[in-house]
Parts: sequence; structure tokens; C-alpha cells
Amino acid sequence: MKLRKYVIGLAVLAVTAAGCSSKSATDDGGTDSGGVKTGPGVTADKITLGALTDLTGVYATLGKSITQAQQLYFEQLNQAGGVCGRDVELLVRDHGYDVQKAVGAYTELQPKVVGLPQVIGSPIMAAIAENVAKDKVLTIPAAWPSQLLKVPYVQIVGGTYELEMINGVDFLVREKGLKKGDKIGHVYFEGEYGESALAGAKFAAEKAGLTVVEQRIKPTDNDMTSQVSALKSEGVKAILMSAGPRQSASLAGVAAAGGLNVPIVSNNPGYSPQLLGTPAAKALEANFYYISATQPPSSDAPAMAKLVGDYTKKYPKDVFDGGATFGYVSAKVFGESLKKACDSKDLTREGVYKALQTQSAFDSEGLMPVLDFSKPGQVGTRESIIQRPDSKAKGGLVEATEPFTSDAAKEFDLG
Amino acid sequence: MSKLRWAPLLLLLLPPFYLDMFWLQAGLFVMAAAIGAIGLNLLTGSTGQLSIGHSFFLAIGAYGYVYFAGESDGHVAGLGLPTPLAAVLAVVLAGLAGLAFSPIAGRLSGMYLGIASLALIFVGQHVLFNFEKVTGGYNGRSVEPMNLFGFPFDGSTDLVVMGVPFGAQERLWFFGLVLLGLAAWFAYGVLNGRPGRAMNLIRDQQIAAGVLGVPVARMRSAVFTLSSMYAGLAGVLLALAFQRAVPDYFGVLLAFEYLAMIVIGGLGSVAGAVVGAAFVTLLPQLLTRYSDSLPLVAAAGGEGVAPSDAARYLYGGAVVVIVLFLPAGLSGLRVPFLTPRKETTP
Repeated sequence: MKLRKYVIGLAVLAVTAAGCSSKSATDDGGTDSGGVKTGPGVTADKITLGALTDLTGVYATLGKSITQAQQLYFEQLNQAGGVCGRDVELLVRDHGYDVQKAVGAYTELQPKVVGLPQVIGSPIMAAIAENVAKDKVLTIPAAWPSQLLKVPYVQIVGGTYELEMINGVDFLVREKGLKKGDKIGHVYFEGEYGESALAGAKFAAEKAGLTVVEQRIKPTDNDMTSQVSALKSEGVKAILMSAGPRQSASLAGVAAAGGLNVPIVSNNPGYSPQLLGTPAAKALEANFYYISATQPPSSDAPAMAKLVGDYTKKYPKDVFDGGATFGYVSAKVFGESLKKACDSKDLTREGVYKALQTQSAFDSEGLMPVLDFSKPGQVGTRESIIQRPDSKAKGGLVEATEPFTSDAAKEFDLG
Repeated sequence: MSKLRWAPLLLLLLPPFYLDMFWLQAGLFVMAAAIGAIGLNLLTGSTGQLSIGHSFFLAIGAYGYVYFAGESDGHVAGLGLPTPLAAVLAVVLAGLAGLAFSPIAGRLSGMYLGIASLALIFVGQHVLFNFEKVTGGYNGRSVEPMNLFGFPFDGSTDLVVMGVPFGAQERLWFFGLVLLGLAAWFAYGVLNGRPGRAMNLIRDQQIAAGVLGVPVARMRSAVFTLSSMYAGLAGVLLALAFQRAVPDYFGVLLAFEYLAMIVIGGLGSVAGAVVGAAFVTLLPQLLTRYSDSLPLVAAAGGEGVAPSDAARYLYGGAVVVIVLFLPAGLSGLRVPFLTPRKETTP
């Protein structure tokens, strides 16, 4: 009998208490005193954005650079008066490249933010992609596979892995004297990153009459000795690299020691300036090239000098790298979209997404090529800049070519 | 009075009405982990068989479900079966995988089984990454939402209960609760019956068990199979909570987290497995969420101990403290001088 009373009591409690649960009040936003439509993530004095980053996992260096550069941008934006009379705040969550933690963090952040200027990790992006589309959260991933171009509300800033490799092969043919019938090696990570890059490499190789010798590796493989000897016995004339900085250093060092003296061309996640402090520095300076859509820190664009100065002033202990440039530009893409959304008096998620698409020539003041966000499903730019390590230069990188788009990259179908 | 002992559990029905999505999702992860941990505890805690391959069976459950329930499209294959049937088949599949391993599980004991089962993870990871038709490869594939007799467990239809809108998490909460309840009840029955006594005897005195007529090898393989079915069920619930199954997740680290759960919670007890699962699953999520306001943990991007590192230190420390001072784990806190063996040996 007591049990039944207990259950009934509990049920009554639940019914009455649920009435005053904060969840029952649904908040669909509204319109503020200035006539600006607002939604989730926007209050009277604050606009909140979110970042799902990796500060403790495999991409910790990249995550730290991007996050710090984004915090720098929003700080400067707020000092200049913010957007729509509101401060912009970045909520950062570290997932350590763990999908479960990232999904938990997304679920927590989603109701609080207008958009996500940073999501690191292609498995993580894949895990939240459906919810991003459902919740209409504008997201900028720190991953560049072409598949992401098709996902609604996801905006790639820069080129894609495919385009980088296509431009890289073109560079090898034009500048490094590769000819029809030559073999090129491609060392790539299993998973979306490596496979996207491989698709680009194969496309460009076919156009140029080259053959690709594939070497698939795992992110945990750090010693490239067996890959180098396999490529050497195949007689490759150049090596493409779609892996992490550690693998690049190992490959360059082992190849130089083993007498395989060929150019190595890597995708943008495959290099970090810290490598110049390792014993592989000499080999890297001799043979290594790195493709990216961001300008190297030694670029003479005035915005770059200012960014490097501000960044090193705020974070004196950290090395300025390509991740920081990307982080700054992607934060700026968000900042400009928010400003445009404010002008058209619609700060809802939908409004910010529309504002992004009004920008057909986004100007990052020379930090990146001009980006076109007006065509959903298309890439913002097909240009790449080939760079090479140089320990004497600022940021350890110098330009090897001007920004360019190869003919093959122009005709590559991104699907 | 004895019936009332379980009444506070009814409070578990309340969270969907009050807590936000973050908590409900974390709760779902806890329920899934708890089911898996109960299974591992039957094997490791009660029978003394170490398994480091638990995440392999979780993966079979999760991917079994997405394969049976999912539809075929250009990239991935699926059978498109009704979801409850797919869930049952996934659990059966995990059980069959456990059974296939049982010639080994029956013969090896303790540490040796641990090493042998570790191999499963590496084989499993390789298969998951390369069997793209079923697993979707590195990026995984999305999970068909559960649909029980026409009632969908996702946000596709509007449902408002007592003024609270019920989305995917709220609905799954009750589904998970029912599964966890059944899993715990069944394990409780096993442990308190003849099989439970036989399992404990195998753990404590293998020779005595043989002499008393307990078929040691058969018992071991049966427990291994049962434990893999629990893992399979946990995998199904996990996939439903994630809405996406990613191969990378089912690695060695996950297997060790499950071992941490049962050691922290208390070896050999059902309640211990649940408490340990809650501790290990919630800790990193909570530290991440409140990293801004905790004193020793660095806010993201700042200097200091990162939240996920802090979580690892904390449960590393917890394991040491518990092994030293609380042999019965967290579940033994109320009666520190009683080991859980006391409950199960007559």
C-alpha cells in the first residue's frame, strides 16, 4: 500500500512540477528594440558563437593556433564596438578528437550559439553534420574535403584537399620537370583527408600522363622508412604527402638519408613551423613544398604583418603558423557575416547564413585569395600557394609560387 | 518496507522534464555504458576473466544495428529491417561473435584471455575502417532512429508531454531506462542464482569448481557470450544516442575505460557497474562543460591542465584510491568493510 501511495505522490509531483519546468517555456527569439530579429545565441548585449576544437588530441597544435587567432579577432572586433551594439563571445569546447565528447559538446553548445566558426576533425564534422543542417547552425570546419561542400550550412573557407593536390601536381610538372610516363608516390592517411587528396592526385596525374604509386598509412605510423624504400624501388620522381607534420618530417629525413632526392609536396595539414627545430630541418628545406590557400607569414601583405605582430604580442610563447591565419580569416568571415546580418536587421541563424551568401568576393586583405561564398555547394577559391620551409624567414615559410589555379583544377568536378 | 527500497529509482523518470539536452545526452551515454559495464562485470568481476576486447563487441552491436536497420544507398549497404528486429538481431550477432571466440575464452583464464581479446580490437578496427559497405569507412554512417510500434524515437514528430516538448533525447531516455532496467534485473538474477555461485567459484577456486562438477570451460564461454551480448545491446543504445556510428570510437581506449568503470564502481556487483559507468562517462563531459569556472582546470585555449587531461588524472587517481581503500569500489561506500563477495556467496 505504501508503495502505491509513493508512486501516486511522485506522479502528482511530476505533473505539477513539470508545469514550472523551465523547459516548457519555448523561446523562439523575437525582435529587439532596434527592430533586429534575434534567435538562439543572441541576447540584448551579447552574440555567442561556439568552437569545437582539439586542444589535447592529435591536432592540438592546429587547434590551439586556430582558437587563439579567433579569440584575437573577436577581441579586436569587440574593441571596435562589436556587432549591432553587442559583444561577440566565443565559447570554446575541447573534444580532444574524441567523437563522443564532441557530440556531447555540440548538444550543449547548440542551443546557446548562432554559429560555429570552428569545428576540427572530419569524423567529428561527419558526426554532427545532420544536426547542423537540422538546427541550421552555420559552421566553418577546419577540414577541407570536397564532400563537405554539399552539406547545407557548412562553409569551407579556402580550397579543398583535391584542389591542393591538383595544383601541386601541376607545380611539379611545370617547375620540377616531371614528364609523361613518370611515376609519383603518394603517401596518405586512411580516411577522408587522405582519400580526398588521393582522388585529386589521380585526376591530375591522369591529365599529365603520370602514374600514382599509392602508400596508405595510419595516423599512428610515425616512421616512414618502409614507405620510402617502397617508393624508391618504384623509381618515383616526386612524392605527394597527405598526412601530419610528423610523417612529413620522417619522410623527408629518411628519403634524404636514403638518397631519394626528389621533391615532396604536402597538403596543408602536413607541415608546422616547429619541424624546423628537428633534425629533419635540412632535408625539409632542400626538398619539401607545402600547399595552402593561406599566405605564408613572411608575405608582404600589410594585413599579414599586422596579424603576426598582434598575435605574437598577445601570445608571445607561441609560434605563428598557417593555422593561425586560417583561424583569423574564418573568424573574420563570421564577423563580416554578422555585420551584414545586422544591416539587414536579421540576426537569426537563417539571417546570418543568408548574409554569408551575399558575399561573392570576400576580402581577407590579402591573407587568402578572394573568396566567393555566393554559390552554395561550390568552393570559395580554386587557387593555391606553394610554399617552402626556410628557417631564416619569418614564420619559417616562404612563397615558392604566386597564388595560381592550374588548368586541371579549373575543370575538376567537385561533385 | 523492502519494496520501498527501490522507490527512489522512480526519480529517474523526472530528468526529461527538467534537464536540458546536454544532461539528457550525457545520461544516455551513461545508460549505454552501464549496460556494457554490467556485461563486462559479469565476466571480469564475477568470473575473474579479464577482457580487453569489450569495445569490439560494442562495435558489433552498433554496426549490426545500423546495417540491419539502415537503407542501402550509393555508399553503404543496409537491409532496411524494422528497427526493433534490427536491435534484437544486433544483440544476437554480438552474442554469436562472442560464441565464435569461446573456444579461446573457455580455455584461457585471467591475463592470458586479456591479451588474446586485445587482438580482437586491432582486428576489429581494421575491419571497421575497410569494410566500407557496412561501416561507412572512416567517417562512419548515420543511424536509423528507433521506431517502436509506430512510435519514433527522434524529433520527427511533435510530442508534448505535460507542457514539455519531447524530442529525440527525451524519448530515448525512457527507452534507455527500460533497457538498463531489464539488463540489470537479468544480471542480478544470474548472479544470485546457481550460475552466479558457479562463476564466483571459478574466479576464486577453479579446481574446487571443477571438482564440484561445475563445467569450467563451458561456463567461461557461456559467460563470455553473455557478456558480448550485453556489449552488443550497449552498442545499439550508444548508436541511437550518437545518431552516428564512427569506427574510430571503438578503440583500445574505450576498452580500458570499461575496465576503469568496473574497478571504480566495484567488481562483481551490478550496482557497482552502473555507478562506475556514470563516474567514468560523466567526469570528462562535466569538466569540459564547467572548465570556465573550475579553479585548477584551464579554460579552453588557456594555459594549464586541459579538461580532458584533468579527467584522466582524476580517474587515474580514483582507481588508485579505490584499489587501496575501497576494495568494493564506489558501490561499497556505505559498508566499506563488506566486499561484494559477501552478497553473492551463501
